[in-house]
Amino acid sequence: MALRDVLMAATIIMFVAAGAIFSRRFWNIYQVMKKSRPTNRSDRLGERLTSTFIQVFAHKRMLKIRYSGVLHLFIFSGFVVLLIDVVGSILQLFVAGFSIGPVLGMIVDIWVCLVLIGVVMAIYQRAVIKPERYHGSDETDGYIILGMITMIVIGIAIHESFYPYAAIPVFGVKSAPIGAMEFLAYGLSHLWATLGWTAPRAASIGYAVGYAMDILVIWIFLAYLPYSKHLHVFLAIPNIFVRKMRPPGELVPSPVPEEGIAIRSFGDLSWKDVMDLYTCTECGRCQAVCPAHAAGQALSPKMIILELREALKKELAGGEPIPLAGGVVSQEELWACTTCGACMEACPVFIEHVPKIVGMRAALLEDGEIDKSAQKVLVGWDRQGNSFGQPLKKRPQWTKGLDVAIKDARREPVDWLWFVGDFASYDPRLQDLTRLVAQLLQRAEVDFGILYDGESNSGNDALRIGEFGLFEALAQKNLAKLEEAQYNMIFTTDPHSLNALKNEYVKYGFDRPVKHYTEAFVDLIEGGKFDLKPLGIRATYHDPCYLGRWNRIFDAPRELIKRVGVDLVEMPRHGENSFCCGAGGGRIWMEEVGIKERPADQRIKEALTLEGVTHFVVACPKDVAMFTAAVASTGNEGRLRVVDVAELLAEAAGLGIPDKLVATR
Amino acid sequence: MRILVLTKSVPDLVEELVLDEDSGELLHDEMTYVPSEWDDHAVEEALLIKEDSNADVTVLAVDTGDVDNMLFTALAKGADRAIKLQGDFDLSTSNRKRAQAIAHYVKENPYDLILSGVQAIDDIDGQIPAMVAGLLGMPHASVVTDVRLDGDRVHFHQEYGGGLQAELASQTPVVLGIQAARKPPRYASIAKVRQMMKSSVLEEVEVAVEEVPELEIRRFFKPVAAGHAEMIDGDAEEVAERIVSILKERNLVRG
Amino acid sequence: MGPILVVAEFTEGELSDTSRELLTKARELAQSLGSEVIAVGFGSHAEHAMANADADRAVAITGLGLDQYLPLTYERTLSQIVSEYHPLLTMVANSTMGLDLGAGVAAAQHMPVIAYCNGLHTDAEDIVAQCQAFAGKLLAEVAVPAGGAVITVLPGSFGSSGTSGHPEVTVMAVDSVPGMDVVKILEPEKGDVDITRADILVSVGRGIGDPENLGLAQELAEAIGGVVSCSRPVVDAGWLPKARQVGKSGQTVKPKLYLALGISGAPEHLQGMKDADLIIAANTDESSSIMEVAHYGTTVDILDLMPALAERLRGE
Repeated sequence: MALRDVLMAATIIMFVAAGAIFSRRFWNIYQVMKKSRPTNRSDRLGERLTSTFIQVFAHKRMLKIRYSGVLHLFIFSGFVVLLIDVVGSILQLFVAGFSIGPVLGMIVDIWVCLVLIGVVMAIYQRAVIKPERYHGSDETDGYIILGMITMIVIGIAIHESFYPYAAIPVFGVKSAPIGAMEFLAYGLSHLWATLGWTAPRAASIGYAVGYAMDILVIWIFLAYLPYSKHLHVFLAIPNIFVRKMRPPGELVPSPVPEEGIAIRSFGDLSWKDVMDLYTCTECGRCQAVCPAHAAGQALSPKMIILELREALKKELAGGEPIPLAGGVVSQEELWACTTCGACMEACPVFIEHVPKIVGMRAALLEDGEIDKSAQKVLVGWDRQGNSFGQPLKKRPQWTKGLDVAIKDARREPVDWLWFVGDFASYDPRLQDLTRLVAQLLQRAEVDFGILYDGESNSGNDALRIGEFGLFEALAQKNLAKLEEAQYNMIFTTDPHSLNALKNEYVKYGFDRPVKHYTEAFVDLIEGGKFDLKPLGIRATYHDPCYLGRWNRIFDAPRELIKRVGVDLVEMPRHGENSFCCGAGGGRIWMEEVGIKERPADQRIKEALTLEGVTHFVVACPKDVAMFTAAVASTGNEGRLRVVDVAELLAEAAGLGIPDKLVATR
Repeated sequence: MRILVLTKSVPDLVEELVLDEDSGELLHDEMTYVPSEWDDHAVEEALLIKEDSNADVTVLAVDTGDVDNMLFTALAKGADRAIKLQGDFDLSTSNRKRAQAIAHYVKENPYDLILSGVQAIDDIDGQIPAMVAGLLGMPHASVVTDVRLDGDRVHFHQEYGGGLQAELASQTPVVLGIQAARKPPRYASIAKVRQMMKSSVLEEVEVAVEEVPELEIRRFFKPVAAGHAEMIDGDAEEVAERIVSILKERNLVRG
Repeated sequence: MGPILVVAEFTEGELSDTSRELLTKARELAQSLGSEVIAVGFGSHAEHAMANADADRAVAITGLGLDQYLPLTYERTLSQIVSEYHPLLTMVANSTMGLDLGAGVAAAQHMPVIAYCNGLHTDAEDIVAQCQAFAGKLLAEVAVPAGGAVITVLPGSFGSSGTSGHPEVTVMAVDSVPGMDVVKILEPEKGDVDITRADILVSVGRGIGDPENLGLAQELAEAIGGVVSCSRPVVDAGWLPKARQVGKSGQTVKPKLYLALGISGAPEHLQGMKDADLIIAANTDESSSIMEVAHYGTTVDILDLMPALAERLRGE
């Protein structure tokens, strides 16, 4: 009887101790969260529940990397089954003669096997496959956890299989032999019989060892978890549940904190930001998709989260606070971000990297620290409303080459109001393209107009550089002009402007319909406004970050490409997994520090792996500039041509277009 | 160490200069004004000195009606105080008159080191720092970089043509015309400038200026280009082709 | 009618080209006004250097330490001379020394100063100065006041006649004024190359946009057998060393070919390269000042032009 008492006492004492350590840790984290900024995460509860269910039980994002997803699903599902075992084993110890029965027993056995398969796969992944995304993660912690899991599941099988022999010496009850349904325990119990380990003493030891490996290790696990990256076992599900449900493209939701968006210390984070830090599993999926990381720059979204978490731990342990921006996270890391959002799209536990990066950028900016070329652009936006250092008056100069004048939407009502954007207005290489869009609209007899020199940069990139005040000033300028104009819909050729108009101006009460030109042109095609002749070329399409990922417009450009008779071949990374050109978040104006291979060059090489593809189709003016340069710098001028969807449409519609814009030339 | 930085605004050359073609007069009210680039460097140099030592930095502008934002921006960057000289001034006020006003102020309110941009784009009637020094009989130097404090002396570099420079040392008070700061001027975020507008005040100092020697500017006019390059049209390939043939004609291509 | 005072500067012990220009112009004005020309120079070589200057009188100011430019001493001394001679015009070059002395002396002597002058002539009643303003975007016509003025002149504005004279040279010994002194002379970092000796310069400006693109300029320079130089903003940004800078505060160059790429042509830059034998400029703005001194110009993007040119030149 003494062995049972020892096990019972150990179970209770260790549970209380582990529980105390566990609770203390959570209490600490809760205290930090309590002191952080508010953020509303209780909207759209129904959708929250469904999407949490899909992400948790169907492992939607996890399965994007098949191997890891499957192995994790095995181990994760084992945790659910573990509950059955914990309850069963403890009751068995405390209530003599208790049994979970053969059905549950079989389920437990099946999952013990699945978990073991998962563990073997995980070890193989860490030790043999060694994905780059683990670089910088705490690998020892990974192995410790895998070791504990292995001990637990093997422990289950061991104490179950010894139970029939130990029932009398330990519990004083007689147990029925194990049925074949509980195959693992069944098999092992026969093994013990063959080995002659069924005598009371041997069986008691076997049972006790198995029980200790199972339940007592679980308690150790419980105490260890909150101090390791495996805290996600508890936090992942809540973190997914409180994920951002506002439009993805909205970086700064209303109400904007009165003290601004700058993140200098942990008190400037929201409680969700703090939770993000503890939830991170160090899986490195964000690092694997980050264009800045791929380019060889200092940035890894994973390392930003880990650096912040380490610093927070140190601070909680009584360390002197270190400034987050430029201290805990280096300036190089922060400025390398293109705000493409690939990290957030990849994160299985919905960590929000970009708002943290932008918040820390804002802190640097308030201290006057910013790349000098980007600084010139900020000053240009403030003074002239554009990034080209050109006079405000020259904004509508591209219209000069048109046969039919464009309406001034400030003076007369129009059906569609075209928000042109900086690049399309000022970049001499893009102005032909801008005129082409105007001609297409004229061909389709659309009643449209522009704001002429009343338009300023939308502020989308200013905000992402961290200059919220400038964004706000630009937004107010545009909103004042939009107020003057009469129109039914805004459309824009620039995804960055689209994002600001659609998602960021909401906080100032702006709620008019905004469309990207690909959507608008698809409508026109459906309305029979163009007579299209198939182009018969083979092309791939690059999803711009601010059109695709941030605004979920994936279909319209593809529809348009198909309608003009182009054979569309997808690149490996497309749609929500598209790979950034490297221009976003103000990067296009900043010095290229530490870049080994530009993201745009990598992207062009990706396109070149596609059989027979001669055209690289884009739907963003910045992409035209970035990828044209990339095709040249990789020496592929003869092999691949960068074309805008508007060029394809214009040619299919038989418009008279400048030679250099003829796609099938 | 008390540092005074003299700043002014000048027409934004990105936009068109507005000229009454008949009278040759500049239409000041129709142009946009921005801080003079060299003054930005002077502010930056002063702030860098402040970071090295415990200097107190005051920025000053003659109130020509549009200087508030410029002064708040300097405060946002880290200046300690901002002063607006008030009197009979507007955008057309000459540099000579501005220098006289500043000299009156400095006489009453001594500083150890006075910095300003070495020049401005509109100072055909004289560079302000040199005139302020001349009026006050203070030592001064132009085309200065790299200003550092060494006890009660000020060390700085003065640039001459041909890349030649000298390190000079001066007693205080001294006036220095800054060519370029050690680092490019820092950025002041809009939020921070707005915060300054709420939290700090510009000290207004009234100054009366007597008659000063003024220039009679008869007219401004756009230069008739003495010559203009023969423009080569076409795309980069065509232009390159043409340039190579020009170089060949002149035997500038290696055989 | 007061005399016309010319502040002379010396290079390697002789009158500088700019000082000769100033003297030529002073002589021309003095003749039409019936006035005389007085040259004023500092340092031990001043007496010798001004012996054949085209001036009626010369004042050579000597003293310990005056061979090196001393802003405070020079200014106090010139101020004293101006107050003694009551010149109608005091002409100084728009050099660093001119920037110091011009406005400083004028203010101290209660005279007006006319800066950035690039033309001087007499009309019916007045002497009229033409001045450069707004980075060369505008010119101003300024009447020289009857009471006289200090004028700072942009080098290269007048041209020199080469005439020499026999001025009566007075030597004036002064003590240096305590308060500001030279700690040391900082010789220019010559660096790897001496751009003043290159026959072909591939010169880049603000339009290069990004230091990464300097590689393209370097490749072009190699293909054409030249050297990369630049304008001031490129040095200020730290993208190229000071030794590569062309212009007023950098080097004055006179190569056989000057390729100005993405340089808009601030007056200070033009001053350093306008005498090149052949200037070809690429700048997106056809109305930029560089096009006025260039022989050929183009508005194509330099990032496209540089590789296109390099490719052709390598192919030769």
